[in-house]
Parts: sequence; structure tokens; C-alpha cells
Amino acid sequence: MTGLARAGAMKPLLYALLGAYSLVVVLPFFWMFAASFKTTREIFADPFGWPDAPSLDNYARAWEQGIGGYFLNSLLVTVATVVLIIGLSGIAAYGFARLKFRGRALLYTLIIAGYAVPIHTVLVPLYEMLDAAGMLDSYAGLVLPYVAFGIPFSIILLYAFLLEFPKELEEAARLDGCNRWQTIRHVVAPLSLPGLSSVAIFSGVFTWNEFLLGLLILSSDGLKTLPVGLVAFQGAYASDWGALMAGVVLATVPLLVLYMVMQKHFVRSLAGLGK
Amino acid sequence: MVLPAFALFAIFVLYPVALTVVASFQEFGLSSERRFFVGLANYAEMAGDPVFWLALRNNVFLLLGSVAVQVGVGTLLAAILDRAIHRFGSVFRTLIFAPMVMSMVAVSLLWSMIYHPVFGMVTKAGDALGLPPSELGILGDPATVNWAILSVACWQYTGFVMVIVFAGMQAIPEDLYQAAKLDGAGPVRSFLAITLPGIRNVVIVAVLLTMIGSFKIFDLIYVLTAGGPGNASDVLGTYIYDTAFTLERMGYASAIAVVLLAIAIGIGLVQLRASRTAGAHG
Repeated sequence: MTGLARAGAMKPLLYALLGAYSLVVVLPFFWMFAASFKTTREIFADPFGWPDAPSLDNYARAWEQGIGGYFLNSLLVTVATVVLIIGLSGIAAYGFARLKFRGRALLYTLIIAGYAVPIHTVLVPLYEMLDAAGMLDSYAGLVLPYVAFGIPFSIILLYAFLLEFPKELEEAARLDGCNRWQTIRHVVAPLSLPGLSSVAIFSGVFTWNEFLLGLLILSSDGLKTLPVGLVAFQGAYASDWGALMAGVVLATVPLLVLYMVMQKHFVRSLAGLGK
Repeated sequence: MVLPAFALFAIFVLYPVALTVVASFQEFGLSSERRFFVGLANYAEMAGDPVFWLALRNNVFLLLGSVAVQVGVGTLLAAILDRAIHRFGSVFRTLIFAPMVMSMVAVSLLWSMIYHPVFGMVTKAGDALGLPPSELGILGDPATVNWAILSVACWQYTGFVMVIVFAGMQAIPEDLYQAAKLDGAGPVRSFLAITLPGIRNVVIVAVLLTMIGSFKIFDLIYVLTAGGPGNASDVLGTYIYDTAFTLERMGYASAIAVVLLAIAIGIGLVQLRASRTAGAHG
């Protein structure tokens, strides 16, 4: 009984602890939104509070001064990267899971090792290769490395998924006269949607947020993605904090909304990093 | 079927890794035609380069701080959510994980406002608490800059560790706790005797992921401080970038990259073994 009583007394304390930490997490988000609706004068005078007369001027200015273009560029790059990653690593994972071929274990080991390679360790040769191929400052030069760096995790995840996939379904499709490609298209792919959506979320978040390679490769303003563009924007309009925070909100809200809507998928695929 | 994906991976990941190792024995500029073989000179220079050691030390500082705070606080929060609190549990989890979906650049820009030397919220809060005002600002003072960076990293990733560890705790069978209760064990006792052993592998994986993250860090520091003041907050990632693309010393940058690569792959191998063991336990 004493243990129970103690646990009961502890509860408010534990709620307070969780609440306090949640506040630490939430306050910066609140300040980000608040500043995006404030004039520069208000930001300096009252950085903590919500503005008396919230205004969308910062958003209009940020959008006109390039953020709109960066937003669309990021969307294009992210969609292209995710589609390519899903197609290529889906097919490759199927190959690893179903086909027996010489060198299979070696290739798979190399892919797992590649998962540990940070992009910054290969910047120098990557830059020279893309320069030699005339792909600097182009989306091909950005998307192809993104896809290549996204492939290891995607293959590992889908391979694990396919190993648990019931082979009987595929055999039934084969008996019904489907060839291998038809089986993949009509049976394996639709039933692999949970795995594929994890890959899409993971690689989508990675691409939407990637900064270093974009910084190195994209030099024309018209091509820049959101992270690269936001940093350029900060350099050009250093004191326009309202517009900068509007830009940060625009970069953050799409993922935040997706996360709220598909929370379980998000947590599973980002936490999948741990597997 | 494996070929298209593997070819792309080989061209843009494996081949550049090999080229980096070769380049680390050479000296050449950004667009220079000629490369000079210099043997181990780049590595010898690195051994005597104070900025290299400072950058490495900062990586290790972030590693130790991140492991202590993110895994410590993350595990504590997960334990509260797992055993003690059920109402609003998913609301807390949603909120605390949220910074994880934000891009590191957006996080950095947000915190450059929060740390602003004139109107930044942390600066103002420090003034209100009567802390001595820093003329250099939090990010401009070598004594505080790395703590400020560590705080941002913890703000972003603690929720991530919490979620991984929470999942591990949920997998522990309830009967174990019931049995412990019958034996008269209190909450602290059953945490030590049941929860901790049960999440051992998950915590190891979380620690390793945090370690890898601390060595991969770049965006946060590039945007928040550019490695400054001076080189006070440089890490290997920013030092490689500056050496290669500002100083245009590609060979030397490659040698530093090889060191970082060796560390990353080393941790990666341990992680692989750990997660296999974790997988074997379900």
C-alpha cells in the first residue's frame, strides 16, 4: 500500500516534469510562428509575445524575394529523388531477396558499409566528378548523389520487409500466368506499401532537409533548394528576421503537417534508423 | 535487377570513397590540373595542426554531451511515459518528437534568432535572471558557443531517442512487472531490475546513433557560427569543407575526411553488430 500511495503522490510531479520538457520543446516553435507575423520593430521590442496585429507581410516579402522559388525547387527535387529511390531500391531489394546470384553477399555487405559513409567525407571527389561531367549547378548533379546516398537504407529496409513477405502469394500469381514483372507490379508492390511508404517518408525528409551537397553544387539562385536558399536569404537580408522566420515556417510546415497526419508512419520510419 | 541501384551507389558512394583515400596522399587545388604525390605529408601535418585537434575535440565534446543528455533525458522521459503516465501520453510523445522532422538548417536559423545578442530570448532571459551580459553574445564567446550548439542538438534529437527507447520498453512483457510487484518490488526496483536489462540493446543502438550523429554534424554549426569565433566551434565536417572549398587544399581536406570516414565506419560496424543482437531478441 505504501508503494501505491507513493506512486500516487509522484504522479503530479511526473506530469510536471513531462510538461516542463514539452514546454522547452514547444517554446521555440511558438517564437518561430510569432516572429513570422511580427514587424522587425515588434521583434526587437517584444521578442517573447504573440503580436497584437499579426500580419502576413513577412510571408509576402519572403515569397517574392525568392523563397517561393526555393520552395518549388525543393518540391521538384524531393519528388524526383523519392520516385527514383523507390523504383531503384525496390527492384534491387526484390533481387536481393528472391534471386540467387554470384557475389550477392559481397554486394549486400558493400551496401551496408555504404550506409555509414557521411556525405562530407566524399565532397572533394564528388565535386570533381560532377565538374568533369558538366553536372555542377544542375538537378542531375544533385538528384543522382541523393538517390545514391538514399539507396543503402532503402534497400536494407525493403529487403527485411520482403524476407517476411509470404512467397505463396507470388507463386499463386505465377500459376495464374503472371511473369515476374507482372507479379511485382500487381502483387508484391501493392502489398509492400507499408515498407515503401517508410522509404518514401525517410528519403523525402532527408532530401527536403539536405543542405551540404546543395550548398556545394547549386550556385545559380534560380535552382537553389529551400535549405540552401534560406541561408542565402539570411546572408542577403541579415536584419529582416520576420521574413526569415516566415521562410523557416514555410520550410517546416509541410513536414510538420505530414507528420501530424501520418504520425505512426513517421515515427516508425525515422526510428527505423535505429534498426 | 540489383544492377541499376548498385551501379548508382558504386559511382556516387563507393568510387568517391576510394578517390578520397587516394587524394589524401596528394596535394592539389580546386581546379588545378596537376596533382603532386606527397606521401604521408598530409597526415603528418594533421598530427601537428591545432585546428584539426580542436575540431576533433569539439566533435568528442558534442558526442559526450549528446549521449549524456539525449540518452539520459530521453530514457527518463520514455520511462515516465511507459510506466507512470498514460493519459495524454501520445500528445507528449507527438510534441517531444516534433523537432526531429524539422530541417537542421531551419532549426539553426530559428536558434540564431533565439541566441541573438540583442533581442534573443535566451539572451533576454539571461539578463532577466541577472546573469552578467556578454558583450560578444552567446555564440560569439568561445566559453559558451559549444554549450549553445550542444543545447540545440539536444533540443532536436532527445525526442528521437525517447521514441526509440519507448518502443523498446513497450516490448517488455507486462507479466515481468506483475511478478516483480508480487515479490514486493517498488517502481524504482522494477525499473532497475526489469526495464533497464530489457532495453539494454535498444539503448546501445541509441547511443551509437547519437555518436554517429555527433560526427556527422555540419549544418547546425555552418549556419549558426560558421565554426567561429575564430575556430572555437569548428568540427571535422566544417573544417573539411573550409579546407577544401575556401583554402582550396583538396589533398589535406581528403586526409581529414579519411579520419572522419574511419571513425564513422568504425561506429557503423559496432552498430551493425549491436542491432543484430537487438534483432535476435525481437
